[in-house]
Amino acid sequence: MDGFLLVVWAVRLLFLALIYLFLYRVVRALLHDLRAAAREPADRPGRLVVLESPSGEPAAGHSFGLDVITPLGRDVNNAIVIDDPFASAEHAILTFRGRSWYLEDLGSTNGSYINGRRVDGVAPMGFGDELQIGQVRMRLERALG
Amino acid sequence: MTDAARATRSSTIGALPRALGRIRPRPRWLELKLLALVAVALAVGSLSLEATVNGVLALHDPQSLAIYVVALFGAHLAQVVSGRRTDQVLLPTVAFLGGISLLLMQRLPQDLVSQTFFGTTFGLAQVQLIWLLLALGLATTLGIVVRSDSWLRRYKYTWAAAGVGLLLLTFVFGTEINGQRLTLQLGPFSGQPTELLKVILVVFLAGYLSENRTLLMEQDTRLGPLRMPPLAYLAPMVAMWAIALGIVVVQRDLGAALLFFGVFLALLYVATGRLSLVIIGFVLFLLGSALMAMLFDHIRTRVDIWIDPFADPLGAGYQIVQALHAFARGGLLGVGLGAGLPEIAGRPPIPEVHTDFPLAALGEELGIVGVVAILGLYLVVVERGLRIGAAAADDFRSLLAIGLALVIGIQAFIIAAGDLKVLPLTGVTLPFISYGGSSLLANALVIGLLLALSDKGVEAPPAPRVGARWRRIGRRATA
Repeated sequence: MDGFLLVVWAVRLLFLALIYLFLYRVVRALLHDLRAAAREPADRPGRLVVLESPSGEPAAGHSFGLDVITPLGRDVNNAIVIDDPFASAEHAILTFRGRSWYLEDLGSTNGSYINGRRVDGVAPMGFGDELQIGQVRMRLERALG
Repeated sequence: MTDAARATRSSTIGALPRALGRIRPRPRWLELKLLALVAVALAVGSLSLEATVNGVLALHDPQSLAIYVVALFGAHLAQVVSGRRTDQVLLPTVAFLGGISLLLMQRLPQDLVSQTFFGTTFGLAQVQLIWLLLALGLATTLGIVVRSDSWLRRYKYTWAAAGVGLLLLTFVFGTEINGQRLTLQLGPFSGQPTELLKVILVVFLAGYLSENRTLLMEQDTRLGPLRMPPLAYLAPMVAMWAIALGIVVVQRDLGAALLFFGVFLALLYVATGRLSLVIIGFVLFLLGSALMAMLFDHIRTRVDIWIDPFADPLGAGYQIVQALHAFARGGLLGVGLGAGLPEIAGRPPIPEVHTDFPLAALGEELGIVGVVAILGLYLVVVERGLRIGAAAADDFRSLLAIGLALVIGIQAFIIAAGDLKVLPLTGVTLPFISYGGSSLLANALVIGLLLALSDKGVEAPPAPRVGARWRRIGRRATA
């Protein structure tokens, strides 16, 4: 009977050990996943996806990786060139400060719009928000890690 | 056949292989390995249970265990065939919690619950097994089928209205059990709407906060030393507070109120990153609770029991005293599955052990080592949710995933803390372990949505609603 008692003990402890083995395997997988995410850091704080662009420059569907400071406008010296008759040469500037994006309209003639609302000076912008400059519509998205 | 008909016919034929071709089975080795480990662990647990109860080294109720394990691998296979790149850790983790639940329910007296379907009467473990299978089916189906979140995102106010409606229905038509008005009876079905409500709450909050996040982050109003966002945007916060306290007053459900408000504050912090809002909310909640405790007897009783359960160990404090004794008997490694809970006159000493106190039973039989491991499993679920949220493309999905994971984490914390006398005891369930259909199905809904959200290849988030006026102006300018 003592032998059986020993077996019961062993089985009991084995069950506990197996829960921990499961946790160990899971945590190892999670660490692997986290390391993979850290190895290719999201050096871009966001990206801008072009939804609609009648003039074809930028092309619809194109996705721009954004720098911390990204100027937009019709002038070729902008990081994102918007070749649209309703865009100004230096139209607006997107900046990433702290943990949020901000759009600053640089006194453009036809204005910049976030979700259809005209931007007065500086306005915060969240991921998923839609930006319209001239006839070009773009969406701010998190860079895929 | 006309040309037009032939054209449509050929185009549908052309579209069919393309639709099927997109579904390419994709192996999920990690999930398979983890599920195999879960199956082995549950078999060992079952051996341990049978050896303790009947003194034979065999599986305890091998039929139920086999059904559960086969269902797990079925869910795995369905996901492999669907070929979606969803999370591979969530399902095995939740399956482990469900398996522990099954072992616990098999071990408790079967007549705690008896339900009759089609002339056959099922006991506690069998009913729980049926619910577990339904929950597994729901989570897997959602994880495979849901590819777009616009049905959640577009109609957030509709969902919120439905949630409030559900709550009002419970207020009016709910049946009172143990002085709590929680259960809604609908013909032969009865359920606890608060379980569903927590999911609706997260959907609404994710929608509202992702839309107004930037506005909430602006600092306009000053209130003494604290800087506040524009007051109009705090209205929903005050409404939430009122609803939470309303639940306490009318439903006498302290746990749900605590859960809802905890999730709300956590999401508010995630969305705005501003501690001042959370502090204000927390202080409001404490003040409200203190007021409630002064006004209502049943809440004061709860608090008194929490402060000193040994003042009335055979009456009001009975449950919590027995639970503390159970934890104490368990010690470090526990007394083993099936060996705990000495029954008094054929009943387990803790009256609601299968719903409110499963952690006390597990604490006795698996010891602190087992309880820590189980809490670790909940932590894994929360970590997955946070990771899915961090990788999401936009704010709505991000907040939704984080909120869903936190609902499970906070709920597990509230009831675990209640069982251990860290917080006043409140009647929420331990997710995936407590007995109960509403709880299992609502938590399966959460896991299913998390699975769907974790797919990177899912369709792009829909465009936010653009003001109709600007759309018109834009069109005129183009013309």
